[in-house]
Amino acid sequence: MELLQQLTFLERGIIAGLIIGFICPLLGAFLLVRRITIISEALSHITLTGIAAGVFLSQTTILMGMINPLYTGLIFSLAGSLLVEKLRQIYKHFQELAIPIILSSGVGLGAILISMSGGSYNEWYNYLFGSIVTVTLGDLGFIAGTGIVALIILLAFYKELLSISFDQEFAKTSGMKVTRINFFFSLLIALVISMSMKVVGILLVGAMVTLPVAASIQLAKSFRQVVVLGILFGQMAMIGGIYFSYHLNVATGGMIVVTGVVILILSAGLKRFRKGLA
Amino acid sequence: MISVFFQYDFLTYALYTGIMVGFLAPVLGVFLVVRRLSLIADALSHITLSGIAFSLLLGRHYTMFAGLNPVYMGSVFAVGGALMIERLRTVYTYYKELAIPIILSAGIGIGVVFISLADGFNTDLFNYLFGSVVAVRESDFHLIGGITIVVTILLVLFYKELFYLSFDEEQAVVSGIPRRFLHFLFIVMVALVIAASMRIVGILLVSSLMTLPVAAAMRLAKGFKQMFIYSVIFGQFSVITGLVSAFHLNLAPGGTIVMINVFILLAVVLLTRKRG
Repeated sequence: MELLQQLTFLERGIIAGLIIGFICPLLGAFLLVRRITIISEALSHITLTGIAAGVFLSQTTILMGMINPLYTGLIFSLAGSLLVEKLRQIYKHFQELAIPIILSSGVGLGAILISMSGGSYNEWYNYLFGSIVTVTLGDLGFIAGTGIVALIILLAFYKELLSISFDQEFAKTSGMKVTRINFFFSLLIALVISMSMKVVGILLVGAMVTLPVAASIQLAKSFRQVVVLGILFGQMAMIGGIYFSYHLNVATGGMIVVTGVVILILSAGLKRFRKGLA
Repeated sequence: MISVFFQYDFLTYALYTGIMVGFLAPVLGVFLVVRRLSLIADALSHITLSGIAFSLLLGRHYTMFAGLNPVYMGSVFAVGGALMIERLRTVYTYYKELAIPIILSAGIGIGVVFISLADGFNTDLFNYLFGSVVAVRESDFHLIGGITIVVTILLVLFYKELFYLSFDEEQAVVSGIPRRFLHFLFIVMVALVIAASMRIVGILLVSSLMTLPVAAAMRLAKGFKQMFIYSVIFGQFSVITGLVSAFHLNLAPGGTIVMINVFILLAVVLLTRKRG
């Protein structure tokens, strides 16, 4: 415990970043094969509402003053993930409408709550675009805690998740409880998004989930390779992003994403080069 | 309530711009939703942010760009983003849906880097993100008016072709409709409308004004024409009430407009469910 308290603000940020850079691509690989990477965008925007609600409540009621807005963010993204499933059932023929509806109502409500709670713009920009220097010890605890829970869910249901991701019909007929696994999957997405938010920023969490696996799928030959390369790229984007953002004095979240984009472009180029050789 | 909007020039501009936007966005939204491209609006609006940030950055270093309305650069980036999406769809042949999240997140990420290079983390940025009642200037009004006229003319001219393409792409191509050209034209229109709506609704919420009224209209309408009519009615209602309430309650108009749309949608879903 004492060791944890001795960490400088930068070390806390980097540790948080490395945890996120590990778990985000891991989840991203599953989202990719299920073809629902966009869900991370919708849920991250819902998390914005949760954070705004948390900040607003902490200003207006004494009871809520102690609670870290990250927790309200987590609750909202969890509710959002269940709502997406529900909306998919309502718009059967236009299932892809569920995501824009959740996404926009999330930001809309968030915008109202933000203008109601006032507060400094800088605080909000930290939530929106991420900041590595504002990671407190409590935040680090939250990130590590949710990270561990997410990892446990992933390991416990790895086989089931994999089978559902590739062939839901088959999973169903072979006696898997698909709805229950899907519930855990939603829980997993919500956890990962709310944990990443502090460092990468709400608007950029989706990038951390998508970009590393989008790069790794260019080069990988199996699902395992997608995961391993994805994690590797995720860590590279994190470390590169943090390094450059610190030295160029640029917002961390932005620089992490730009590093991720560069990795994506490089891997697409490498694939072409390989094809040229073959 | 609304009379105050005619007392001050900047509020009048905001109201008129709002009415134009409340017409354009749902109309294009109908095509977007029917063509199952509703997510493209999100991606393009996010890349518009990078354009605006780039324009702000240029404006700080070159006086030539300082006077330029950032909306121009925003629409240039949006069109570029649309082309990139098409390109990415050919790179990821098996995972075509990846193109949108990639562009969306890259757009915001690059935007954020430009903004921090331009030291732009201030009130202005907040207005760009969530919209503002008071930020509409005369030059914006003229620009948006121009966009409205151009897009309306294009829609009238190419209505039949777009309609055909939306419902039966194969047949349309066989009967000699230039799909690539029309698709490009359509995306450019979407980019223009996003740039136009941004001042009032905000970048993060533009796409909702395109999809939410249509999502509600879809459950009520019995034909394509009715879908247009319902969407425009919902769009206008949400923009006007949203603007007025945002002004009086001192909230971000993007938020109120979108939430009114969400309530309309909920009401419609409940209503049609009973009927069914």
